[in-house]
Amino acid sequence: MRHAMLTLLVAVVLQLTVGSALGQTFVFGAQGEPVQLDPAIITDGISSRITRQVFDGLVRYKGATTEVEPALAERWDVSGDGRVWTFQLRRNVRFHDGTPLDAASVVWNFERWWKAGHPQHDNQVKAGQTFEYWEAQFGGFDDKSIVSRVDAVGSHTVRITLKDPQAPFLANLAMFVFDIASPSAVEKWGTEFGKHPVGTGAFKLVEWKPNQEVVLEANADYWGPKPRVKRVVVRNIKDNSQRLGALKAGEIHGMEGLNPEDVLVVKSDPDLQLLLRPTNTTGYIAFNFKVKEFQDKRVRQAFAHAVNKKALVDALYGGTGLVATQFQPPSLWGYKRDLRDFDYSPARARELLGQAGFAQGVSEITWDDGKREPLVFWYMSRSRPYFPNPKEIAEAMAADLAKVGIKAQLQTADWAVYLDKRKNGQLPLYMLGWTGDNGDPDNFLCYFFCSPGAPREGFYANNPLAEVLLRAQKLTNQAERAKLYRQAEQMLHDDVGRLFIANNQPPLAFSKRVKGYVPHPTGSEYFAAVEIQ
Amino acid sequence: MRRYALQRGLTAVPVLLGVSVLVFSFIHLIPGDPAVTMLGERATPEKVAEVRVRLGLDRPLWEQYVRYVGRVVRGDLGVSIVRGDPVLTDLLRRFPATVELATAAIVVAVGLGIPVGVASAVWRNSVVDSLARLLALTGVSMPIFWLGVMLAWFFGVTLRVLPTGFRLDTGTAFVPWTNFVIVDAALQGNWPLLVDALRHLILPALALATIPLAIVARMTRASMLEVLSREFIRTAEAKGLPQGAVILHHALRNALLPVVTVIGLQIGQLLAGAILTETIFSWPGIGLWVYESIEARDYAIVQGTSLFIAVIVVVVNLMTDLLYAVVDPRIRYD
Repeated sequence: MRHAMLTLLVAVVLQLTVGSALGQTFVFGAQGEPVQLDPAIITDGISSRITRQVFDGLVRYKGATTEVEPALAERWDVSGDGRVWTFQLRRNVRFHDGTPLDAASVVWNFERWWKAGHPQHDNQVKAGQTFEYWEAQFGGFDDKSIVSRVDAVGSHTVRITLKDPQAPFLANLAMFVFDIASPSAVEKWGTEFGKHPVGTGAFKLVEWKPNQEVVLEANADYWGPKPRVKRVVVRNIKDNSQRLGALKAGEIHGMEGLNPEDVLVVKSDPDLQLLLRPTNTTGYIAFNFKVKEFQDKRVRQAFAHAVNKKALVDALYGGTGLVATQFQPPSLWGYKRDLRDFDYSPARARELLGQAGFAQGVSEITWDDGKREPLVFWYMSRSRPYFPNPKEIAEAMAADLAKVGIKAQLQTADWAVYLDKRKNGQLPLYMLGWTGDNGDPDNFLCYFFCSPGAPREGFYANNPLAEVLLRAQKLTNQAERAKLYRQAEQMLHDDVGRLFIANNQPPLAFSKRVKGYVPHPTGSEYFAAVEIQ
Repeated sequence: MRRYALQRGLTAVPVLLGVSVLVFSFIHLIPGDPAVTMLGERATPEKVAEVRVRLGLDRPLWEQYVRYVGRVVRGDLGVSIVRGDPVLTDLLRRFPATVELATAAIVVAVGLGIPVGVASAVWRNSVVDSLARLLALTGVSMPIFWLGVMLAWFFGVTLRVLPTGFRLDTGTAFVPWTNFVIVDAALQGNWPLLVDALRHLILPALALATIPLAIVARMTRASMLEVLSREFIRTAEAKGLPQGAVILHHALRNALLPVVTVIGLQIGQLLAGAILTETIFSWPGIGLWVYESIEARDYAIVQGTSLFIAVIVVVVNLMTDLLYAVVDPRIRYD
């Protein structure tokens, strides 16, 4: 009897301690739970990572670039004036619910996004949701939109007419938000469609277990190259260290959200590989132009020479950061490669301060209305890809500034308050950044500098710069536009409108058994080419 | 007894009202416009205004409160701001996971804490006692988030004998009946599922049990020491009763009362600890959910869950009070 008990105990212990095999399943560790899975409504990377597998757009980004290639549309042409786009759809493509993809279904999707009165638009708005990216990228809804007509001109031909040419039009369409959903599924589920997504993508949704995981299964009828794995599971692991633990333990195959200090852990592990996402993000320091001291360009130049960007990036980005010389990250086609950045030179900085009449340094500032106060440098209370350790980065910059006689007190605020104060132009000197949406230079530069004097941008008013940017927005020829964006970067640099500090290449960690994962700058990758060996 | 229970129940009403005021007001106490926080860096002023109206933030404070209490009383905890799902439904779906974890932790804490405390008291100042006291001190002082990560890395990553997190392996089929995985597995006679669930439960339960275990052990020891010095123990020993019987039937029974109080008080602590434990171990209960909702500024969920937890703590304390009579028949409520 005793023997039997012992055997049973051993058997139980053995069973308890043996892990399960993962087989043909790719398990990815995400930083959180998807909000929902209706691509037209979501705005976050955790949700869009999943919708990208389930849906396709008319066009998509090519590999790791932000260039556009065919997806559901096989080819397209644009009229000479840049206003009429005609898309030829791929034939014999079906949604996961079996309904065919045709011109009518594409037009239906556009009308849902665009027309506030569309029943499947209206019901979402009533439920408190918005079609945020449509509004942002295409100017608004109904008559406010830059889109004036969307027609099915054949069974598989869609014509989109714009009021004005829009340069980033194709880049916009490649964004995950404009992926095409099955009209019949949207009509069936209504506002619950976000829990029951149906697209044409390489994977179908099997199950979403709240707070745990989303399970996808390969779509055997996929129009493109067939997925290499049978299943995809995206698990929600909030804690960065635990996620890395799960990867090291073999419970997941890949993950995002590595702590900068864990990059070395991954590099030194023979079973793991580190992949860097091409940079699409820039961290900056902004001046408030209502501060008299900052109105003097020599003072701003002194700041630019004082901050040792290279030392900062080397020390605080875990080896994944790049020194930024301009607003656009180097992955964008408007990037100005030959822009000569300010050297790190405390001596030059002191000299410039002296010329500006601040030989004693700067520790107090004067606002436009005459109010004097100590100089405060505001730093972010939250980590962002462009500033992964905001406090440490701010401390390093403040130390550099102190070396040339600029004595700034560091201060932070709750994220909401911080953004509020920034929007109202109340921060004298602050750090923030931007992550690109669609790989178009317009998405970086124009959002910030097309409305001169905006409180949100520290009242920075550079009218010639705004003119160049607005001109570039109307052109469709990429080479011509690139020239203008390079010119804009030079103007911004010459005026020292802002200090660009760093670009980051967010690190991802994978088991060495994983092949074919190509990190994309926008953060939405296709898992169809992922293989497990 | 019934009258006492009623009276005791009525005292809970002002407590709950107080909690409702607190829970209601924290949305207004934390700095920043909730609408702005929710919508983030890129929100337009029109959108912010729209959300303020939708959340009723444009109304006077008292009106917001009255509406809030009115809804809560009808069992309506609102809908998630981010996802739009009813809070109560989601709460009830996630709650079993937390109950399962907290129960396991209590079983560990009581099952180990009482024997350790008794042993410590009986062999006072021995090596056993010193060791037990050292462990108890370490246990209370150890932060869960640190201990949890260490446990997961040691057993999950270094030894690879237990999973680093989650409630089940990916791919384990589970048909929820009660949503208590262990109960369902037992009811369905699904042994692989039961094994899988238990493997996942061990580490988070240990992490969550550490502090209550230490407290229960210390309390048991102190209470036992006091009882052991009483005269009736000497009498029992003088009668020639075996030592085991004296300790278990005479001493422990009398020493348990303060221990029960402490265990009751630990429930609140456990639910708070569950937020950290669940987050570290990706355990899909209300703790992880609250953590994510705080991050996403989903006030409706945070408010609803806080209120729910407060009700549970109040109810558990009430039950603890009533349990005294069971533990100690000398206590009468009349």
